[in-house]
Amino acid sequence: MLRLFDTGNRSVTEAAILCGLNFYSGYPITPATEIAENMSRRLPLAGGYYVQGEDETAALHMAVGASLGGMRAMTSTSGPGYVLYADPYGWAIGGEIPVVILNAQRVGPVSGITGAPGQGEFYLSRYPTHGGNFETIVLAPEGVREAFAMTVEAFRLSERFRTPVTILADQLVTDGWEAFEVPETREELESLGLPLPDRASHPGPDFYPDNTLIDVPPVVLGRGTGGACSDWTPTREGYDTEEIGEQMRHARRLVGKVLDNRGLIDRSESVCLDDDPRLVLVSYGSPSRTVRRAVREARARGLKVGAVRLRSLWPFQDKLFQAPGRDHLVVELNCDGQLVREVSRASGREARFLGRCGELPKVSELLEAVTLLLDGKKIDGGYWAEKHGGVFR
Amino acid sequence: MSGPAGGTAENKAPGRGNMPARSEILLSGFGGQGVVLAGRCLGTAATRAGFEATMLVSHGTETRGGYVRSQVVVALGEIDSPVVEKPDFFLALSQAAYNRFKPLAAFGLTLYDSQMVSPDGALPGRDLGLPARELARSRLGDELAANMISLGVILRLLGGVPLAEGQRAARELSKRGGETNVLALELGWNLDLG
Repeated sequence: MLRLFDTGNRSVTEAAILCGLNFYSGYPITPATEIAENMSRRLPLAGGYYVQGEDETAALHMAVGASLGGMRAMTSTSGPGYVLYADPYGWAIGGEIPVVILNAQRVGPVSGITGAPGQGEFYLSRYPTHGGNFETIVLAPEGVREAFAMTVEAFRLSERFRTPVTILADQLVTDGWEAFEVPETREELESLGLPLPDRASHPGPDFYPDNTLIDVPPVVLGRGTGGACSDWTPTREGYDTEEIGEQMRHARRLVGKVLDNRGLIDRSESVCLDDDPRLVLVSYGSPSRTVRRAVREARARGLKVGAVRLRSLWPFQDKLFQAPGRDHLVVELNCDGQLVREVSRASGREARFLGRCGELPKVSELLEAVTLLLDGKKIDGGYWAEKHGGVFR
Repeated sequence: MSGPAGGTAENKAPGRGNMPARSEILLSGFGGQGVVLAGRCLGTAATRAGFEATMLVSHGTETRGGYVRSQVVVALGEIDSPVVEKPDFFLALSQAAYNRFKPLAAFGLTLYDSQMVSPDGALPGRDLGLPARELARSRLGDELAANMISLGVILRLLGGVPLAEGQRAARELSKRGGETNVLALELGWNLDLG
């Protein structure tokens, strides 16, 4: 393995190229600009294409189109661009077109601050387009090394489920630096399941089958494939239809293929849960790293706490939060509280909330909050924590 | 060489080969002083020497007069939090950066450029003034090498990461002045700290 000290933007680029990526289209934006930069240098050397779109809507449309043409495609952006993906994201979901999307979240709303991390697109990644009748697949790396592995996983899931996969990273993951390994030999590549097999072309005529099975080859247009595809409700053959029955069949497949096979998607990490602690910290992405350190330090002080880290966000893993008698403290890089709402819903009791804008919560802050909560006291979370269960009684 | 400033400092930093499981290094200055390059050299050298390493970079929003900060963690095993909360080494190459981050000075050794920074005598912890910019100008003919002189000092006090790995990284990562940076690291490594 080649050992590098570099950014998440670099590790994602290297992983994507090893996955066989041969089409990248994007619009540069901090903190994901270096993915576009790296791709523009590296992809032509690897036999692929780099295209800079006139905006993010065009960029994802091009990636989706390239995938429909049989290529392995991705794009990357931050929140202000992710919201512009709404239209092509829907095309990719509805047409069952594999594509990998990375969102390096920065603090918002709107353009926010370019050089500070945020977690404001948790719900947007669940509902990235209009119309409903779909599930999304979203993975969340906590650092540079995991971003490499998760990019590989994202390509695999995207192909198997025939749907877009969002890697919901944050500024500290993409612009942060870390030691990581890149495979160099055939054996090392194969040990990671790389490279992925070439895109198979669906033989038809049942391009949009009446079931919820995965591992159906994606539709490839052109070159005598006979494939057809539409942003309207498709028949099994891929032609437009106005039949309600066909719409029900299509929606059933889009939702069911994800939920019926979610065992391949669900990912989480447990920290110190073996003795069933009463208080469990919940997080995803880069805050998970300070949370893990805080839990270990709390344990060293004899405080009975644990942590759950979500490595996949959607479909949401309700079962992780249904142990009886547990209280959850949700740590997020926002002040309005997003993940905390899902944890509260899944657990059936209001979760506590500690939100920070633009920077990681310190280990010392987390330890203080944990100590107060275990003592039955209120945490100093200010207005927002008050609104989301800052009071612990 | 001014020796340890503040009068009470005794350098108790771990010696070479005696590195703790986790070391936190906070590098700071203003834009253009090479704070990020120094962090990249440190992280790359540590990675090649078999350590785990992380770095978070942040900067102020001011066009001029702001700060640049590199938070580097070097560890023998897995790094959980990449945040520097208790720096073993705090380097300040500018007054603005010193003022911003000096609350963290209590935990380890503070190194500051003695011509750029007026130290706060009331701060707890050990500190050491380095005439890094002046040395870079007079000895190497390039005051921009102050970052690498300072990094040379930190590498030696840190222990475990060989000077040669720092120099290899500096040679590869410097867009300009690579050989000057190699010499600057050696100059810092060999400085008599008093």
